[in-house]
Amino acid sequence: MTKSAWGWTWFGFLLALDIAIPWFVLTRVERLSGAFLFWTIWAAAAIISAFIILLKWRGVEK
Amino acid sequence: MSATFWVWFGIAAYIAVGLGIALMARRKLGVGVSEFFLANRRVGGFISALTYSATTYSAFMMVGLAGLTYLTGVGALGFELTYLCGMFMMVFFLPRFWLVGKKYGYISPTELLSDRYQNKGVGATTAILALVFLVPYGAVQLMGVGYLMNGISGGAIPVVAGIIIAVVCAIAWSSIAGLRSVAWTDAFQALIMIVTSAAVLGVVIAALGGFGAFFSKLEAASPGLLTVPTAKGAWNINMFIGLALPWLFFLISNPQVSQRLFIPKSVTAMKQMLGGFLIFGFIYTLISVLWGFSATLLVPGLENADLATPKLLSLTMIPTGLAIVVMIGITAAAISTIDSILLTLSSVWARDIHRGLINPKVSEKGELRVGQWVIPIMAIIAFLFALWVAEKPGLDYMIAPLSSAASAGLLMAVPAIFGAFFWKRATAPGAMVSCITGAVVVLVLQLTGWRPMGWWPGTWGFIVCVILFIGVSLSTRPPKEKAEEFIGYLRGALKKGNFI
Repeated sequence: MTKSAWGWTWFGFLLALDIAIPWFVLTRVERLSGAFLFWTIWAAAAIISAFIILLKWRGVEK
Repeated sequence: MSATFWVWFGIAAYIAVGLGIALMARRKLGVGVSEFFLANRRVGGFISALTYSATTYSAFMMVGLAGLTYLTGVGALGFELTYLCGMFMMVFFLPRFWLVGKKYGYISPTELLSDRYQNKGVGATTAILALVFLVPYGAVQLMGVGYLMNGISGGAIPVVAGIIIAVVCAIAWSSIAGLRSVAWTDAFQALIMIVTSAAVLGVVIAALGGFGAFFSKLEAASPGLLTVPTAKGAWNINMFIGLALPWLFFLISNPQVSQRLFIPKSVTAMKQMLGGFLIFGFIYTLISVLWGFSATLLVPGLENADLATPKLLSLTMIPTGLAIVVMIGITAAAISTIDSILLTLSSVWARDIHRGLINPKVSEKGELRVGQWVIPIMAIIAFLFALWVAEKPGLDYMIAPLSSAASAGLLMAVPAIFGAFFWKRATAPGAMVSCITGAVVVLVLQLTGWRPMGWWPGTWGFIVCVILFIGVSLSTRPPKEKAEEFIGYLRGALKKGNFI
């Protein structure tokens, strides 16, 4: 698989978790350790993965 | 002296500093359309990150999102963080927009579509989409400022006065030096937004006994707000997808933000822009949602949830000076968004409607003049819309759902944008038919309140739009030569920069 395809697959996986975990796993957890904590960690994971990719970018001007 | 006096003083100080920055930016203003609308593509990473943040995050956050959290709970966090997760797509789109912007000299994202599809109708269609749907989005910013000033002054400042102040500032800062004044004032405003919101949240959390006590009280007082769907029926999956889907693609569907992808001066600036924004967005989202939750504890039982922030700020536990500074921060958030919208709409009108359809032979100077006239006209339309909506009750007329509804219309350009970058077989008729039909579906469902199978207007519109885009593209002839050249160029340039 190309790097681009890996990127899209990872993004799709994140979106699947976005629905699956809060609505089907944590739906009865009425605490901050439920959906609140999940979405916070989940978004942090998305941000870190974006950083991993963008830090590899290099100048194209030269 | 009264709180009202200090509110007016704070507003005057904010306007004076903002005006000073805009006038300083004007000294650097060169000539031409690219200079006015894109600061000649020479914006550094720090300013790019802050202008992107200030343009994206508006009164929606500390007023609208806080109100939505107050009313419906943790689903509001998931909805807003879904937008931030969607920013992962920037690793694909930022380098692509930036590279083709530099190579072909595009001024607006709609111009990019016209050129890629070799059809000015595509640019005009997406430009009209932007003109129609960005008005309500701009209007909600104005409403946010109106509500806020009214609430903090205890009703002494009428909602309409707040709206007028926001309109005048937005017109001034977008007209004085185009993107240069918008970006510089945005940077100033983004810093105010994040610092003041963090400070006031700190005061409220401390008053509630610290984070541990705050979370314990929240779990005890409103456990139903910490799960999805809530007991009252908010945040079922249909509602979540209906609101989050337009937000997910916000980065490419909203031209006032996608136009920002043209402005970084280098790859380093581009990296700083994206990285800086992601950090800013994550912090600001958590602050806004925690702020909304703190309102459920401190000002429960409000009929209009959009008033949660003004009511919270008027509590005696928050020093008047801090409340006024926060009000300025939220006002800054709103104005920094609406001035960007005005600037983008003016560029879209001048380039894609006026030059593209009405007068193809117009000079660059004439095009610029037309764009500058559009700024106050669009501001007045948004102003009238804000006055109309401010009188309406109900969830559909709250700031957050209205913002998302506006983005639902803009979402209809997304298949055409994906097609431009990733699908050589995509065609102009496919792009235009899908945009127009999808937008009509969204408008009809939005205005009638009809939600077949419980799905929201944006969801239905997007499904119709994708099917039509693929179907019509496959049955019409693509601009083969341009598609090969455009996507072929990107393939080589992306590899060279180690982009994906």
